[in-house]
Amino acid sequence: MALIEDQTYQPTILVIDDERRIREGCFKILKKENCLVEMAEDGETGLKMLAEKHYDIILTDLMMPGIGGMEVLAKVREQHPDSVSIVITGFATLEHSIEAMKKGAFDFIPKPFTPDQLRVVVSKAVKMTRTLQDIATERTRLKTIVNYLAGGVLVTDRSKNIILYNPALLRMLGYQGDSLNDQPLSALTTDEKLTGIIDGILELNTGEFKVLSAEIEPHERGEGPSNQLYLRAQAVPFQNRSGEILGSVTIIDDITHLKELDEMKSAFVSMVSHEIRSPLSTVLSQIKILMDGLAGELGAKQADILGKISRKVQGLVELSNELLDISRIEAGLIVQDKQQVQLMDILESLVEFIQPKAKEKNIALSLKKADLPLINADMKSMEEVFSNLITNAIIYTPEGGKIDVRGEVKGDFVGISVSDTGYGIAPDELPRIFERFYRAKTEKTRNIVGTGLGLPIVKSIIEAHNGTVKVESEEGVGSTFYVRLPI
Amino acid sequence: MANNKLILVVDDDPDLVEAISMKLESKNYRVSKAYDGIEAWDKIQEERPDLIILDVMMPRKDGYELCDELKNNPKYEDITIVLLTAVGSAVTSTRYTHQGGMSTLADDYIAKPIDLDKLMSMIDDFTGQS
Repeated sequence: MALIEDQTYQPTILVIDDERRIREGCFKILKKENCLVEMAEDGETGLKMLAEKHYDIILTDLMMPGIGGMEVLAKVREQHPDSVSIVITGFATLEHSIEAMKKGAFDFIPKPFTPDQLRVVVSKAVKMTRTLQDIATERTRLKTIVNYLAGGVLVTDRSKNIILYNPALLRMLGYQGDSLNDQPLSALTTDEKLTGIIDGILELNTGEFKVLSAEIEPHERGEGPSNQLYLRAQAVPFQNRSGEILGSVTIIDDITHLKELDEMKSAFVSMVSHEIRSPLSTVLSQIKILMDGLAGELGAKQADILGKISRKVQGLVELSNELLDISRIEAGLIVQDKQQVQLMDILESLVEFIQPKAKEKNIALSLKKADLPLINADMKSMEEVFSNLITNAIIYTPEGGKIDVRGEVKGDFVGISVSDTGYGIAPDELPRIFERFYRAKTEKTRNIVGTGLGLPIVKSIIEAHNGTVKVESEEGVGSTFYVRLPI
Repeated sequence: MANNKLILVVDDDPDLVEAISMKLESKNYRVSKAYDGIEAWDKIQEERPDLIILDVMMPRKDGYELCDELKNNPKYEDITIVLLTAVGSAVTSTRYTHQGGMSTLADDYIAKPIDLDKLMSMIDDFTGQS
């Protein structure tokens, strides 16, 4: 049996025994096994050697004149926690062995022993040494990773004492004091949002896992008004094998750059809003003046062309409107204003509002009334969703068609469907209709003007409300859009 | 002609002021023009219009501010004010927003791009002129 599986590994071993026969016996046997062995003839010499150098394994006699084995064990445990100790004992009583194990011995070997017995015990110790070294390596690796992470890392135990952190964290939170190891969290920060999520994590029940995140109150990084630092913290629990919460791990990201980009985007959005839409609106009014003949009589051909110009400009205005809408929805601005909403009321007034458009095309638009529970939603967004779906249905349904809007409760959801007897959507186009700017085109729908953003807006709004939207359609028969929103 | 109502059109875009004015004049209204809130204030003191078509986003003094000033001043509170809002977004110009928009002191408002015919019928209703 090979004592060491990996032949490139040479464990260092110190044998401490006052009996020369034993000392040298061990030396010979272990040397053959590719170990680097050194010897000490008593406890005192052993301790001196231990103070100078790290040994992977220490074999020590228990009963020695002067400093005994127990003392050696205590010292090893204190100075070399990564070393593995084995006790050699002449009177292998259970009592002594237990005492030695309590002092930190890994194993014991009773005298007299055979070379094979020694090999077995040392072989186990070598494996233990490797494991301890792996753990030490892992710890160093973890420390290196954590220290060089750009994000702040903060680990606390269950009683909110700090057990691990990195320089980035101190930089972000502006901490310049003493070492925080084993210090209470309050020594580092009193930010309510940050301590709030850590408390939230530590209060979790056994086996429960949750990610809590919060934006830390912006604070100044230095001098100057624009030098605000925006931070986002995410906390998770760490658990033992039975799911018990042992502490919290919090990662902090610097989101200042995102905030700045967001501000730039908002500025850009309002630039688009004012600088592009306003002149276009004016152009529409000017065209209207021309078409009304207020700037002189207009020929039929001229009126026709002006009509086309007007529709194109109108399209551009709508496009800029919808681009603004979709960017606002994606920025989460539109669905922030959630309240208890009765969808049936919204549908009722919408259907009434849109009814004239349906009548123009001789389409029977009807709403099947039902008792629906209140849902938590943004009223304007809901109106936008169903206005889009119903208006679409009117646009894509030929004269004399039929549109049914109905609502019902399905488990934990409110389901609203809008079905028409329209042109329908080809199966290959069906999966793409919720994509931005995608527009299904057939001979029948070629002349329908639109931006291709209506359905993406519907989808974004519904998803921002944790709902789903899907469509079923058959060409030449009609389409049905289903919206599901959680109660 | 002298009995015809005087409408003050206020917007920082002269082309839009011109277009609205042409439409108003075609309907025999008398028209006065201003291109920001300060200019509008001077015109109001000078001529005392019956109705003001007032843009909200303007340099120097915006429409909301001027509207509040007029409606809180006993001397001018009876002048009808129709606001021109730039919020023409599909989501925000729905019926609910419209109700929200009425929380200003203005008598009514119309979103850009303006439907000139709708604006005219709104004005006709206020002035009783047609």
